[in-house]
Amino acid sequence: MISLQHLTKRFGAQTAVDSLSFEVPAGQIVGFLGPNGAGKSTTLKMLTGMIEPSQGTATICGFDLRREPLEVKRRVGFVPESGAVFESLTGLEYLEMVAALYAIPQDAARARIQQFIAFFDLSFETLTDKLLGAYSKGMRRKVVITAALLHNPPVVFFDEPLDGLDANAAVGFKALIQTLAREGKTIVYSSHILDVVERVCDRVIIIDKGKLLLDGRPDELVAAHGTGTLERLFTKLTGGSELERRAEDFAKTFRP
Amino acid sequence: MNAPSDTPPPLQAAGPALSPGRTLRRLFLTLFLRGRSSRGLRKESAPKSVGSKLALALVFYALFGMFALFFLQQPVFALSVYLHAMTLVFLGMFVAASAGEVLFNKDEADILMHRPVTSRALLWAKIGVLTEVSLWLAGAFNLTGFFVGIGGKDGGWLFPITHAISTIMEALFCTGTVVLVYQLCLRWFGRERLDGLMTTAQVFVAVAAVVAGQVVPRLLIRISGTIKFNAGSWWIGLLPPAWFAGFDDAFAGRGIRSSWELAGFGLAATAVVLWLAFGKLARDYETGLQTLNEASAIRSQRRAGRRWVDVLVHVPPLRWWLRDPVVRASFLLTAAYLVRDRDVKLRIYPGLAPMLVMPFIFLMQDHGRSDGGGFGVAFTGGYLGLIPLLALNLLKYSQQWQASDMFRAAPMPGPAPLCHGARQAVCWFLTFPLLVLFGLMVWLLRGENLHLPLLLPGIIALPIYALIPCLGGKAVPLSLPNEEAKSAARGLSMIGVMLVSIALSGLALWAWSGGWFKWLLLVETVLVIAFYVGMRLSLAAARWRPLE
Repeated sequence: MISLQHLTKRFGAQTAVDSLSFEVPAGQIVGFLGPNGAGKSTTLKMLTGMIEPSQGTATICGFDLRREPLEVKRRVGFVPESGAVFESLTGLEYLEMVAALYAIPQDAARARIQQFIAFFDLSFETLTDKLLGAYSKGMRRKVVITAALLHNPPVVFFDEPLDGLDANAAVGFKALIQTLAREGKTIVYSSHILDVVERVCDRVIIIDKGKLLLDGRPDELVAAHGTGTLERLFTKLTGGSELERRAEDFAKTFRP
Repeated sequence: MNAPSDTPPPLQAAGPALSPGRTLRRLFLTLFLRGRSSRGLRKESAPKSVGSKLALALVFYALFGMFALFFLQQPVFALSVYLHAMTLVFLGMFVAASAGEVLFNKDEADILMHRPVTSRALLWAKIGVLTEVSLWLAGAFNLTGFFVGIGGKDGGWLFPITHAISTIMEALFCTGTVVLVYQLCLRWFGRERLDGLMTTAQVFVAVAAVVAGQVVPRLLIRISGTIKFNAGSWWIGLLPPAWFAGFDDAFAGRGIRSSWELAGFGLAATAVVLWLAFGKLARDYETGLQTLNEASAIRSQRRAGRRWVDVLVHVPPLRWWLRDPVVRASFLLTAAYLVRDRDVKLRIYPGLAPMLVMPFIFLMQDHGRSDGGGFGVAFTGGYLGLIPLLALNLLKYSQQWQASDMFRAAPMPGPAPLCHGARQAVCWFLTFPLLVLFGLMVWLLRGENLHLPLLLPGIIALPIYALIPCLGGKAVPLSLPNEEAKSAARGLSMIGVMLVSIALSGLALWAWSGGWFKWLLLVETVLVIAFYVGMRLSLAAARWRPLE
């Protein structure tokens, strides 16, 4: 479903993503992990056609990212980390605008939006009357997730999707993506909340400095490295093992 | 998550899907009218934020357009040159000021770039909106002109139709030229320098619009002694407004050969600009949009800017002047945004650039006059006051306005020190350099320094002008959303200060010729000190206004 072949992105002299290659079959949930600046968001932006690779390519649903970017875009949904929306539209106006960009007839779009309103516990009046700028962060995130799934894409990229969601919404969202995967959708899930990744994902890919560090099933990787949890494995691989001691030292500086 | 029984009432059924092109046009028009961000607004009240201001602007344009009545019973060509010259200035300024935000909005990339729309479709939709709003403005300004042309010396009922067509052409030419300038900058100077280039491009377009509409005709007066608005003059072909006026003259005026030539030139120029901007170089726009996504490339190059300012505030005289830590912090924040922030730079520098052209025009008119002139110098001094006024007004707006909530969270009784910091940064980094530049212009254009003291009345009044936008604590830097910048009230305060400047310049000139200039300076200084103290006290007493 997703296939990366030596995907590379350079910004001047700096290489953000360095010859990344892997494949994701249909129906899999892949946790895409890495420390800040590892190249996760850049990779997702390349896979969604937002920025052009410097080298290499990727295919999504058989369509080449470089040659057929529009076909790729029709088949992917993306929840960006920023959660940006047009704040001066109402939630409904925003979702209808997104539906129109995918040529979804207005009736069908409204029927789908109706389902999302019910699922995400959104207030109908808020969606139709209030501008997105006045929404809480969680409600805005729900609208962005709805916008990513509105056209029923076979591949969905989530970049920190739980950011701002309350505990109930987060539980519902996790159940949603697991069900979507069982029904054949491919999901790439980038997050720093590693215990969620460990529970939800079938597979994790860890990158650092643009390079692939590790790729496999979370339980197998944790067992193979003897770290006990994915979080400990992650910090061990990405040089974060000293963090607890450094946090203690830093906290001591606040003593009067 | 909701249980099925909580299902909300069904949404009303609607029609088939709009095309992506129409959807995007509708989206960008809505965003333009409502602004791109809002806090706690409901749908019904949102359009008022910009829409009502736009309506007010249209009324102002329509009123200003009534100057066309001076062209009653004049030839169609003369009327059309005037209308098109002024329209070009207004549209050029509007498009130059709006294009950066409309064409290259960073937040928009995360929302739209992964959708199945081409960059060309995005470009067309944005251009469509810019052209549409340009035409509203042009229509309002030309409203009186349409009727004046009917009663023109060689006019008739055909004039409104031809003038409407030529105005549409001019709007397309103007918008296309702005887009073309951006694309050429991208192509020639590379993607990495987009941020800086956008400011440069807007400054260039804003200055070009004023030069094409104001300076060139005046220069030609100097060359030929007088302008006879004759379509047959060789130099008229240099003026873009004359091309479109030629169109009017060809179809609704005299229809002489040179008018047809100008009309043909205008059509060809518009076609070439549109072809280049939306056909040949559309790919460069896509490149530009992608560059906005590539934040890390730009981030890595941004390190050097802050250091020299940091050094500057820790050595005299700034160390003495910025003793209050909040004033110093606000000064540093303002300085950083004046140097680095694309959004702030795109508003301030293109806004200030045409203001430099106006003193140049007056100094040119002064130059070589038998009575020795002097009004141009005095006016230039008075004009300086507009710089801090405009800059401080524009510095209030930012895409990151919500970050200014931290000012309210800080232990400060009111916004006064923040306003002072911003004011001082504007004085140091914009007003003083421009003061030196104006002085040099006076000296170079006049070839003598006898009249330089005429700058003094304006300079003495500067502290007052710089405090006006701060009154009530309104000049807190970067604290308001961008769409609030499209305010007609700001235009009114600018007009008010400009009128005061002109009055002060006239008074200065009178005092100069009457031999009581020193007394004027003395009285003015006393008055300025009194006003300054009063305004400072008023500002110190200002408290935070409640958030919406």
